[in-house]
Amino acid sequence: MDAFIERPKFTCALGGAIAAINALPRSVSIVHASGGCGSSLSGVYNSAAGYFGSGYCSGNMESTSNIAEKEIIFGGEDKLLDEIRTSIEIIDADLYFVLSGCQVEMIGEDTVGTAKRFQGGDVRVLAANTPGFAGNSYHGYDTVMAEIAKSLVKRKDKKRTNVVNILGIVPGQDVFYKGNLREIKRILFALGLKANTFFGENETVEDIENSGDAALNLVFSEFYGVKAAKTFEEVHGIPYIQTDLPIGDTATERFIRLVAGALHINQNKVRRLIASEKKYYYSYVERMLDIYADIDLQRYLIAVLDSSYAYPIMQFLSDDVGWIAHLAIVNDIEDGAQQLRYAEKFKTLESSSRPAVVFEPHTGQVRKHITDSWPRNRNDRYYDALGPSFVIGSSLEGSTAASLNAGFLPIAFPLTSRLVLNKGYTGYHGALALLEDIFSVLVAGR
Amino acid sequence: MAIEKLRPEETIREYNFLGAEAAPSREMRIGACNIFGGTCGALKGRGCSKNADRAYNQAQGCQLGLALGILNAIENVVIIIHAPLGCGAGFLGSSGVFRMIRTMKNASLFENIWISTNLTQTEVIGGGLAKLESAVLYAEREFRPEAIVVANSCVPALIGDDIDTLLNNLSRQTSAVLIPVHCEGFKSKLVASGYDAAYHGLLKKLVDPPAEYPRVLPDDIKDAKEKYRIAKTVNIINVSSASVQDENELTRLLKALDLNVNVLPQHASIEEISRISEAAVNLSMCPTHDDYLTGHLKERFGTDYTIETIPVGLKNTARILRHVGGLLGLEEAVERLIESEEAAFYAAVEPYRDAINGLRLFVGGGETRVLATAEQFQALGAHIIAMKPHHFDIFAEPLLADITPDTIIDVAPGQPSEEMNLLARHRPDLYIGHLGAMVWPLKLGIPTMPLFGNTINYMGYTGAFEMIRRAVRILKNPGFAKKVYANVGQPLRKSWYEKDPFYYIREEGDRA
Repeated sequence: MDAFIERPKFTCALGGAIAAINALPRSVSIVHASGGCGSSLSGVYNSAAGYFGSGYCSGNMESTSNIAEKEIIFGGEDKLLDEIRTSIEIIDADLYFVLSGCQVEMIGEDTVGTAKRFQGGDVRVLAANTPGFAGNSYHGYDTVMAEIAKSLVKRKDKKRTNVVNILGIVPGQDVFYKGNLREIKRILFALGLKANTFFGENETVEDIENSGDAALNLVFSEFYGVKAAKTFEEVHGIPYIQTDLPIGDTATERFIRLVAGALHINQNKVRRLIASEKKYYYSYVERMLDIYADIDLQRYLIAVLDSSYAYPIMQFLSDDVGWIAHLAIVNDIEDGAQQLRYAEKFKTLESSSRPAVVFEPHTGQVRKHITDSWPRNRNDRYYDALGPSFVIGSSLEGSTAASLNAGFLPIAFPLTSRLVLNKGYTGYHGALALLEDIFSVLVAGR
Repeated sequence: MAIEKLRPEETIREYNFLGAEAAPSREMRIGACNIFGGTCGALKGRGCSKNADRAYNQAQGCQLGLALGILNAIENVVIIIHAPLGCGAGFLGSSGVFRMIRTMKNASLFENIWISTNLTQTEVIGGGLAKLESAVLYAEREFRPEAIVVANSCVPALIGDDIDTLLNNLSRQTSAVLIPVHCEGFKSKLVASGYDAAYHGLLKKLVDPPAEYPRVLPDDIKDAKEKYRIAKTVNIINVSSASVQDENELTRLLKALDLNVNVLPQHASIEEISRISEAAVNLSMCPTHDDYLTGHLKERFGTDYTIETIPVGLKNTARILRHVGGLLGLEEAVERLIESEEAAFYAAVEPYRDAINGLRLFVGGGETRVLATAEQFQALGAHIIAMKPHHFDIFAEPLLADITPDTIIDVAPGQPSEEMNLLARHRPDLYIGHLGAMVWPLKLGIPTMPLFGNTINYMGYTGAFEMIRRAVRILKNPGFAKKVYANVGQPLRKSWYEKDPFYYIREEGDRA
């Protein structure tokens, strides 16, 4: 049984589904639930994902069947039929995605069956069961993407060796998802590959429909996007490989070699690409060398992040920037076996420091884990303090970082103290953006 | 001047709902409804039909969010949301704002703590009380709060979790007061029911008659002084849509009448709230928020209250001041105060008159604020094109008389599609609206101004001035709205804009 969570850093399945659909091109969700679910949940991402906004048709524009006491007793199928019909009538979209909430699932409504009546016409209508009690927002993303893989993507027997799909970067939960996708897509393009990212710049619902000819799916998470990748494998015969978000020199080179190996890309091309990207990357790193050295910008790193970011951020700052990987506090892995597997990853760091890895769902326990990670000062005259330190987490870690006198950059959901537009932290370009943001914090007082 | 007639509190005879687990819904209690499209003249006296329906619905608020908006602002409280993960996730977006407000109030900073019981399939089948129990004990142990609020959501209500009995039993093990709040989203289509849900819990568990300890040595003078102090004390009931500056402005006005002022329950301590009855008058900032609280306090402690309107704009601010004056025998002082404040206000807004005169406005949001804001702009020569209150009830009825009868009124909880249709038709110069609603007018190229804000002054005389000044400043450069209109799309089909804005509203029986 999953326990209660103090200040969970995610929402429910319905919330994740709404955020994902809002992030898809010209796509709208129709929420079969009580009136408040749709706007409350999209409101969370609007404000807590770096001001993600209402997008094309989310926020209070969200279509909702508005289930109340009457429908709980007499059933809400008629209301849903009306709502889907009128939503199509009034809203101009390329994809209508019907989502069920807790109330209708508990009274046994057949949301997916009702939505099916609208399928086969000239508009695309999909549906999925996404009650909040089914899981967290990552689960909602997975459910939506698996349904897309199953029911929207066209079957294509002939695969194109130069096409890949990208999964596992969860919109909203990854506040920088769009910038992250852009850089991954750019690098893959440089390798001669076309990447369908589903959520990326200038992509369309038609691109999603046509993603069934990919030769390979890349899943950028240990856990998320795997369900969709498996559906792609079963329905479309597309294999998948899992990798981490590539951030910086070491990780991105590793990522490029992984993809090149899987798709048998010419080694010379790979070498040339890596060389030119590294040259570009280090030409900018060179600019910060003076200040890094002049005022000693090495830090003990405390990463309070989800599984998508905790390892990649720590790996980058430890292997490429020379920081001391001190402590990783990961909030989203409950399963014991998965925790062990995730903790193993940190043993592959190139640097000699090995961080402690803690799995902690409760936000309020973060401070305790940090104090427990270091011997206390027992009034010693000479004391080797945990400092200078730097916390990378969500906006909720602000007060903790302040109490430690640590530098602080919030990058994770909930991110309310920054506004994020097209920035990303992946690849070479993203790593430079991250360096800018981190070291700007450390020179901000000057 | 005589106090105006038609006070809603005279219409509502009885509160006395605290014997029940939950507050009754507003549909039942104060004739609230949220479906109407027409003119103010047509709505007046008739109200909207409670049997009407919409064939197309858009997202609204959830009463859980509104209930918690009040309760989480009480000092040293932990909120437990007995629900799946998504309910209450709104705190993820709001806890930083909360810190800003505390800073502005010079109040001690503390972190908002909330816990989700994270109900899953297992509890849907087997019940969620075990999880709730462990969450309550965890909150007690880890945070030592003075009170633990348990917000009940749709899922446990449908499972049939008896949280009241559980909390009663657990209260023997906790030093924190345990407060059940029934704010299940599906139970009311009127989100404002959430305020009643919050106050129901607060009234039942936190508001006790102040303990009286007989003096060892009688001291008549001290007793008389205490009585006098209470007779000259006004509680300002604060709301999350108001700002610290609003509270300060109302405090300034009451202090000018030589009154003592308490501001509560938000950002107040449990101790302060428990002494809420030590006042002569409860001044409500907004009838949509507070009638359940003020009505019950009148019944239990005999405390008079003002509930008729919101102190936004000169006319409505004066209404409240006169009511307070009437209750405390300060009529003359109030008239002198109003006269001097109004004179200062009119002198100050003189430079803005030309800009406001003839301005075409659309105002949307909570009913009282919409009507009071519209009235103030109208009084300075603006033309109110249309209004869109979230709902309509007996409190709004008298205020409707202040607005030109042919003004369009769309009673709708959200429903931006209807609003967009009206906006595209009438293209006002400025849209004043609720948070979350303004992005859509902006996409139509219409400059927007927030109807309220928790860091902006709207109330009283300084608030009226700030409101006018803000509108004029915003209109100095509407360039961003133009660029947005030209370059960012909006999702509603062209054909929708050719239909009647109220096309999807149907009375009982007909199908659109």
